[in-house]
Amino acid sequence: MKLDLDEYAYLDSPIHRWEPRCKLVGLMALVFAFASIEDLRLAPVMVGMTVLLYAASRLPVSFWLRRIRYPGYFLLGIVVLLPVLSGETVVWQWGWLALRREGLLAVVLITSRFVSILTVGFVLFGTTPFLITVRAMRSLGLPAILADMLLLSYRYLFEIAGNLAQMQRSMRLRGFQSRGNRWLIPNWQDLNRLASLSGTLFIRSYEQAERIYKAMRLRGYGAQTRAIAPIHRAKTPANQLWSGVGLAIALIVAISFAVAEVVV
Amino acid sequence: MHIPDGILPAPACIGGYALTGLATWYSLRQINRRPTPTEDMPKAALLTAAFFVASSIHLPIPPASVHLVLNGLLGVVLGYYAFPAILIGLFFQAVMFGHGGLTTLGVNAAMMGIPALLAYHLFLWHSRLQRSLPQKLPQKWVMPLFAFLAGAFGLGLAALIFFTLIITTIPSGFNVATEQTAVTGLSIAHIPLILIEGIFTAMLVSFLQRVKPELLKG
Repeated sequence: MKLDLDEYAYLDSPIHRWEPRCKLVGLMALVFAFASIEDLRLAPVMVGMTVLLYAASRLPVSFWLRRIRYPGYFLLGIVVLLPVLSGETVVWQWGWLALRREGLLAVVLITSRFVSILTVGFVLFGTTPFLITVRAMRSLGLPAILADMLLLSYRYLFEIAGNLAQMQRSMRLRGFQSRGNRWLIPNWQDLNRLASLSGTLFIRSYEQAERIYKAMRLRGYGAQTRAIAPIHRAKTPANQLWSGVGLAIALIVAISFAVAEVVV
Repeated sequence: MHIPDGILPAPACIGGYALTGLATWYSLRQINRRPTPTEDMPKAALLTAAFFVASSIHLPIPPASVHLVLNGLLGVVLGYYAFPAILIGLFFQAVMFGHGGLTTLGVNAAMMGIPALLAYHLFLWHSRLQRSLPQKLPQKWVMPLFAFLAGAFGLGLAALIFFTLIITTIPSGFNVATEQTAVTGLSIAHIPLILIEGIFTAMLVSFLQRVKPELLKG
């Protein structure tokens, strides 16, 4: 599975040019407005807005498909029983199996909310380099410890995953394979070996962290309270104007969804 | 065991964020009281990544395999850093795999993180127990025992919150009694998993106790 969050952050589109802080606030407002939609009539508008946003971001469709697949299965697992169990009006019946209208409508609403929120999330994190996104969060008030932890764990995540893969490979080469032969009863010895595997992974990471901290201290980390590094600013006046306008549009759309939800 | 986007109503999502904000503020306040608050930050950050990676290890329970949640263990090893660590881990899961979600990040973090903090305090009782007893029990047994309790409690509480949230918020049209039965039934069905999580936590803590006891200082 490909993990890179920001592999298409180098593209050029209005969404990519949008100032990161404005983008973060605007799109998060939109996401929460989507989450608050309960009326099925608003769902097509929501999906339409999402398609427009994704098209404007010029991210490839393959990126979307690759990322939606796995969470899609998970959602399916949760909602698949709803049309069978929930509601009174039977739409279709085959033996004891009956599809009910209320349940189907609930599935449509939940699925369209899910797809729209996820897609806006892809746009938000797919169009800005991750470092810049974290800086934007930091300047919007994320505590320094959290921001530093976020960056460090992002930096070492892939390395530690590689570490684990290597250890698992060497376990296999030395003849380890789980021999569960009785159903529902785990093999305790194997469990113990896997616990040691995880423990070793933690110890390696812990020792690496000690070295990293020393290196950071030598470079002056923690010596003084740091000013927040400035975000790469929108350079041209046209870009600055667009960033403000974009934020305004996003907020207006979000508020109109919330109002429509109450009024309709 | 994360709640995806689009399922919970907006007030629940916002409430989740409020709870998570509060728990994060509390954890960071406890961390900042230490003489050198930044000293443990890199350890917490790398262990966050390691926990994230380790939760992908599948334990073979024939005919299937299960993966661990490890939130109780996170509490035991990271102490007050456990909550920020869980928040960050879930954030990565949401934006990288779409597992969990952006709007439900607050709810998920509170659901996993608050039990982790409680598990941390539960684990700390092992030293209190040792002090209150006239004759010391072998540390070799007491620590894994409390680790088992912490691991089982962390996952158990999280599972209970998860099923309660899912069943009461999905518009199913069931009555309250049916919903209660469903929550109880699903939670009971998870007891074997909770026990395995506890046993795994105990095995891991016993391993760390032998190899690198510093990691268990919280």
